[in-house]
Amino acid sequence: MRLAVVVKQSFLVMAMLLFLPSCTTSVVVEGSVPTPLVSVIPARVGVYYSDEFRNFMHEEVIRDSGSWRIDLGRQNLGFFQNLTKSLFTGVQEVDQSVLATEEIVNLNDVFVSSEEMKNLDGVFVPTIKKYGFLTPSISGLKFYSASIEYSVAMFNKVGAKIGDWSIVGYGKSEGGMFSSDDAVNEATVLAIRDGGARIAIELIDQPAVQAWLQSIDKSIESSAVIPALDESLKILDGPLSE
Amino acid sequence: MVVLGFLSGCVSSRIEQSRDASTGIKSDEAIVLLGRASYNEKQTEESFTECMAKELGRGEKPIRLVGQNQFRDDLYPWFEPRTAPASADELGKLFAQPGVKERIDSANVRYLAWIDGDTVTIDKGGSMSCAVSTFGGGCFGMSYWEEDASYRAAVWDLRTMTSTGQISADANGTSYIAGLIIPIPILARPGNAACKGLANQLRKFIVGEI
Repeated sequence: MRLAVVVKQSFLVMAMLLFLPSCTTSVVVEGSVPTPLVSVIPARVGVYYSDEFRNFMHEEVIRDSGSWRIDLGRQNLGFFQNLTKSLFTGVQEVDQSVLATEEIVNLNDVFVSSEEMKNLDGVFVPTIKKYGFLTPSISGLKFYSASIEYSVAMFNKVGAKIGDWSIVGYGKSEGGMFSSDDAVNEATVLAIRDGGARIAIELIDQPAVQAWLQSIDKSIESSAVIPALDESLKILDGPLSE
Repeated sequence: MVVLGFLSGCVSSRIEQSRDASTGIKSDEAIVLLGRASYNEKQTEESFTECMAKELGRGEKPIRLVGQNQFRDDLYPWFEPRTAPASADELGKLFAQPGVKERIDSANVRYLAWIDGDTVTIDKGGSMSCAVSTFGGGCFGMSYWEEDASYRAAVWDLRTMTSTGQISADANGTSYIAGLIIPIPILARPGNAACKGLANQLRKFIVGEI
């Protein structure tokens, strides 16, 4: 009888220990990846995604809500890959590690090979500066909310910085008592969308971007003139040689 | 017990409408319901727009609906909370964006209804306590809460790019839980009443009197 009680108590302790790790709420952010319907920026760009951007993970301990581990790297990367493809005429991902041995252009510690830069008009570098979320127990509201602060830097063909912009995306979602992870997921997806929407709409109107686009047009015009001159020389050469 | 489970509280509701232009819809044309989300403490619950969509999609004259998530994805980034047009006057500028008009035409969306509002608890009181012991358990006491549901639909005609009118629904009701060993809920559902009232009025507004 006594043994049975001990066994029963041991099972109870084991069960409690098993349930302890469940105090951490893990969220792998997933959602739709819409294709923006915006004017295309007439430029071919390299896009650099750092490892931190690709695998962005937020960990936080909240007093009344326990530990949270929010993995938004994959959703964020997929979103930006789709966004940049729609935003620029041509997009090519540039990878720092592969190009480390080649002749490189240093864009604030993002290294791109000179060979690759020949085919590009510039480089676009998005980074996540900050991510945060609020639960109803903290905010006192009915919603879970999330915010992401992005920094978007752009460099021209020779590695000079065109501009650096800070964009904050917000999202919020209704949360039920037993679906806090779903609510944080949805709020985060909406925050990514909100930040992406601002980049898609506002980037092309930035004066620095407009000036860069004009400089690309001029370089295209000047490079177009040289073959034309060559052609005329050939024509002139022809009859003279005959 | 079953009968008690279905007890419902009283709800009083009021529907109002103002029309700016005539309406009408063909059977192949669709409407889209979009919940307004502003960045303060209020937001139209997704469950409310889902309830309205369900109501409009059935009945004697069902209306074809395009889901709000599908519509927002198809027209991204133009109908996000901070980029969506605030008034019908901004539709002309929006339709000038590449691909926007074509995308709306291909989905054959004729009307856009912006749903704005929420349900709030305006009063609550009473007390109820529940206890469990080795001899059994039970609840004793009574608690109540009063809710007010206030919603508005602003209807835009995407073909003429104008506002055609507004409909509003207000519903108020008090729910009770009486503890007589077992808790007996008597629930008033003002949100549900506002949903049905607004959906039926929206149908009449667009299709005509049924």
